[in-house]
Amino acid sequence: MPGRAPRVTKTEAIVIRQRRLGEADRIVSLLTPLRGKVDVVAKGVLRSKSRMAGHLEALTHVEVVLAHGRSMDVVTQAQAVESFTALRGDLDRLSAALYLAELADRFTVEHADATGLFTLLHSALVRLDRGDGQQVVTRTYELALLEATGFRPEWTRCLGCDLDVPAEGARWSAVEGGVIGAECAAKYPAAVPIDATALRVLRAYQSQPYEEAGRIRLTDDLAARLEQIMHSLMRAVAERELKSAAFVSAARHARVAEEAAEATGDEDDEAEALED
Amino acid sequence: MSEFRDPSGGGATPIARLVDAFHRLPGIGPKSAQRLAYHVLRAPEEEARDLAEALMEVKRSVVLCARCQNVTTENPCRICSDTGRERVIICVVEEPLDVVAIERTGGFHGLYHVLHGVISPADGVGPEDLKIAELLTRIRDTDRDITEVIVATNPNLEGEATSMYLGRLLRPLGIRVTRLARGLPAGADLEYADDVTLGRALEFRQEV
Repeated sequence: MPGRAPRVTKTEAIVIRQRRLGEADRIVSLLTPLRGKVDVVAKGVLRSKSRMAGHLEALTHVEVVLAHGRSMDVVTQAQAVESFTALRGDLDRLSAALYLAELADRFTVEHADATGLFTLLHSALVRLDRGDGQQVVTRTYELALLEATGFRPEWTRCLGCDLDVPAEGARWSAVEGGVIGAECAAKYPAAVPIDATALRVLRAYQSQPYEEAGRIRLTDDLAARLEQIMHSLMRAVAERELKSAAFVSAARHARVAEEAAEATGDEDDEAEALED
Repeated sequence: MSEFRDPSGGGATPIARLVDAFHRLPGIGPKSAQRLAYHVLRAPEEEARDLAEALMEVKRSVVLCARCQNVTTENPCRICSDTGRERVIICVVEEPLDVVAIERTGGFHGLYHVLHGVISPADGVGPEDLKIAELLTRIRDTDRDITEVIVATNPNLEGEATSMYLGRLLRPLGIRVTRLARGLPAGADLEYADDVTLGRALEFRQEV
């Protein structure tokens, strides 16, 4: 008999986002290894007695059974494989994970093989969950994602003449996706200077294995510069604003303010103790 | 709704306008919108006027309470001006309907603050889009006796992100920030519980 599409499919997936549908249902965006991004309907998950709701939360590695519907598939069973609980309890890691999920959403097409992108997102979530540095996880994920989707940035050779560019005095263009040497600067008026240390770190992140990249020590200031460069690059490639990038910064600012307040409090306590 | 367009080319007919207006409401599809519009058309004039007046009145008289940001017809709202309530504790909720749900329990006697949403980076909703600045101003200026803020956002990813963010902003003000307990809902089935829920239920177990 000619191949008729099966009525149900079983697949593993990572929930990358959810949005409300009607009174109690949700549309869940799944990143699957073999079918890429798939939007499916999860019925009744907004009801408190739903058996699937907790398993279909965003950023969950899940095994689902999907029944083929007319316009969208419907989730009939869902079982969480990994919930990444530690990541959910820390605002910095959670905001970073939401940003990674938004990137996966933007850079994956529907109904096409995405095994590589699935593995990338899965490893990044595992690394964030076990407490690896948020910066190294995010930056290496961004670079690997760009490489896997054909947008690998050029950090070493000049986009104009293909000669090696010294880190000191280099310029770069987010739209062109790479660095430009002094000789070719005139040909790229939109290019801006790039911090030499940040550029060296990006070269290392792109060329070294993850474990090596994780050994690079970053100051808060350098981390912020790397974040700014990579956010503008991802925005340029995605050709749209990345909504969760702003929240990563907002969460960090709130942490810095809290730490500063704690430090002031500690100093006050010490001063009081000295007076006593 | 092209089928309701005026054939003389004079734009939308009154019925088409009404169908369009109903269609814009949440949860109302094209067929329901048509049904509602024809119901109004067939209903006595008085019923239609009541509906129109109720719609206009809700827009005219309902405002946000300057303190808690809940919807109200009096400003400050009844809860904020009730002197019998505990004025040292605020329960922060996502939407006005959450206030109704918590009031129904009869177990909370403090004040409220309505955020009108929840931080949802994927949908582009950031802290600046919510009534968070109003909460901070309120705690610093008008409700200075507040010692505890209960964050009663929904126990999902966005709700957790919002509660952790509020914690970071409020702790430096010397406020105790708490979160609603999370565990198994009444009538639930252990077999189907997810790891996060079951883990929390174990962590916050109680003596029987």
